Amino acid sequence: MAEVGSEPGGRIKGTTIVKPFVYGNIARYFGKKREEDGHTHQWTVYVKPYKNEDLSGYIKKIHFKLHDSYPNHNRVVTKPPYEVTETGWGEFEVIIKIYFVDPNERPVTVYHLLKLFQSETDIMLGKKSLVVEYYDELVFQDPTVLMHHALTNTRPMSLGTYKHDTDFDERKEKTLNNIVAANKKIRYEIQELNERLKQKKENINKLKEHINKVEDVDLQPDVESVT
Amino acid sequence: MAGSDVRDILDIDNAPEQAFITKDALMNKNQKKVTRKSMDVSFKRPEGMHREVWGLLWTDNKDSPPIIPTDTNQGYKQMKAKIGSSKVRPWKWMPFSNPARKDGAIFYHWRREADEGKDYPFARFNKASFNSFETDAVDVPVYSDLEYQQHLHDESWTRQETDHLFDLCKRFDLRFLIIHDRWDREKFLNRSVEDLKERYYSICNNLTKVYIISHMYTQNNLSKYIISHTCTHKTISQKEEHLIAELKKIELRKKEREKKTQDLQKLITAADSNIDSRRAEKKHNKKKVHQQQKLKEGLPTVEPSGIKFADFKASGVSLRSQRMKLPASIGQKKTKAIEQVLEELGIEYNPMPTEDIVTHFNELRQDIVLLYELKLALATCDYEVESLRHRFETLAPGKTVEPDLIKPDTSTANLEISSTFFNPVLLTPDSPSRQKKLAEAIDVVGTPGTPNIMSPIPFMGIFENDKDGHLSIQVILTVSFSVKNGHTQIKDHCSISQIMTHKDH
Repeated sequence: MAEVGSEPGGRIKGTTIVKPFVYGNIARYFGKKREEDGHTHQWTVYVKPYKNEDLSGYIKKIHFKLHDSYPNHNRVVTKPPYEVTETGWGEFEVIIKIYFVDPNERPVTVYHLLKLFQSETDIMLGKKSLVVEYYDELVFQDPTVLMHHALTNTRPMSLGTYKHDTDFDERKEKTLNNIVAANKKIRYEIQELNERLKQKKENINKLKEHINKVEDVDLQPDVESVT
Repeated sequence: MAGSDVRDILDIDNAPEQAFITKDALMNKNQKKVTRKSMDVSFKRPEGMHREVWGLLWTDNKDSPPIIPTDTNQGYKQMKAKIGSSKVRPWKWMPFSNPARKDGAIFYHWRREADEGKDYPFARFNKASFNSFETDAVDVPVYSDLEYQQHLHDESWTRQETDHLFDLCKRFDLRFLIIHDRWDREKFLNRSVEDLKERYYSICNNLTKVYIISHMYTQNNLSKYIISHTCTHKTISQKEEHLIAELKKIELRKKEREKKTQDLQKLITAADSNIDSRRAEKKHNKKKVHQQQKLKEGLPTVEPSGIKFADFKASGVSLRSQRMKLPASIGQKKTKAIEQVLEELGIEYNPMPTEDIVTHFNELRQDIVLLYELKLALATCDYEVESLRHRFETLAPGKTVEPDLIKPDTSTANLEISSTFFNPVLLTPDSPSRQKKLAEAIDVVGTPGTPNIMSPIPFMGIFENDKDGHLSIQVILTVSFSVKNGHTQIKDHCSISQIMTHKDH
């Protein structure tokens, strides 16, 4: 922790708080097209904490901006669960805007492409729900005092075990390993390439010397001067 | 028929030339009826008979219509095979050797006397690998430990399993059904025939890629490459050698012509602008080399030569995923190159944004860009060497430079990713802006005042995998190949010159 600054914004300098969260949507096929409006799916778009904690401690409200064709397409959710359930027939980008309890912290915008269709047969038949969710992190750089307090004093949301549909821990590890391995490979190639490049440069210089020598001997006027 | 029987019984051999019946004879096919010469007598149409009816009767074969129905032809009757109407062909117990066998063992079998001395008829079904003169002989490639680690590694296959597969492939000459049958299911997973094939052919393709790249770079002479490559695959034929010789000639002639025209054009257009911009950048370059060295020591520092990611030092809330967004300043070509390499490495374009992953992911992409730039720089160098050589040769005709000086780049011999994926980008005509970045990455351009550097068009090829997974390669000035499962064919010679001319403009 660093010194507590008491400047205008009241920010605590040098402090970073990270709050991982998950956003996405679930969708379920009706099994057929609905007669009255042609809708085919029911879906829920949501934002939830990655760890078991009450988001309302530091989040004031979340705006879900749906497609313009929905009646009052700006949906505001002020308390958990932060989700919007609707029916529809098409995919579109939902704009999720997260507002924090301290108005000095600017809201954060997340874009989520609502997903309804997938090729897996069980989901297609409406027996299983489609889950598309992503992990992301809110990074609070030098939070305000108010915000800091809110962030460090969160309550658990429920008493039971808290689980996600997607195994993020496993994916985290796998992705990291993949990337590190790939980086090694690239580094190796860079090294190799670099070495060759140096050699090549030497060769070029030698070659130039040769040319210079030849030119000096010949004293040819028509060739551009080489310094 | 009866006559011949009688003759046979009486042992009167008066038709030796048709001793054995042929199939045609058996099927009664070419038994041309002796056609009676149609008499010149023309029958008059009976009075009152319609012309059409008469035509039907008359025009078929200028023959008078029959009085009673006849059925002399085969008609619908079953054909009678004329068995036993000819001499018996004797059989003989005789030795034979199968040319497919190496040991020359001699066996005996019954065979027609007439066939004595002929080859063993089933030998042609042999496609075994040792028979190196057969163009369609099966050849299972071999890989070294290093090659395996670098290029052939696969998540779902262990090294032992791959070795086992290749062992079986060699033993059973790629008969995958048998390979599948003999697959060691106790030690390894039970795999389908398709799995085995997929693994085998993907390795073959990868190896071919690696061979091609390494050979091209070590020799910069495709014809040499062809020889050596085909040697390793034991599929060399004289025809191919002839082709290669022809190719060399064409190549030489073409190079000579191009040299003349290009040099001229270069001198004219090798713009002052290029040289000027180079002079300006020269000063910066020294600095960059240091960074390069730092990198070489393996320091995971952020290289300014790569991508500048936003650092998010300002206070406030932000999303972690924002930190791995590529800045807009990265050009489209670079973005594409990054994408391609990521895909090759099997890494998603938007991984899960934890702190660790974001740092590493950004580092990785920085390195990819650096690699890309190095690659460009190398191409420029290659080009410069080439042009310097030309200069040298024109200045001092007759003399030759030490071969190691003009030896083309050997760098990418083992660098599968960089060579296969960046080359297509390299082949596009260069823009000045790119050249700038290139120079920033590393000092490659050497001293100013070399007049004939125009743009770094390397003497390399385009590599691409088409939909079917075949590797196709186009090499400037030389040939275009289609390599499929280790069999190399020369497709055509002409298309290349077209590519070349496009580059010139």
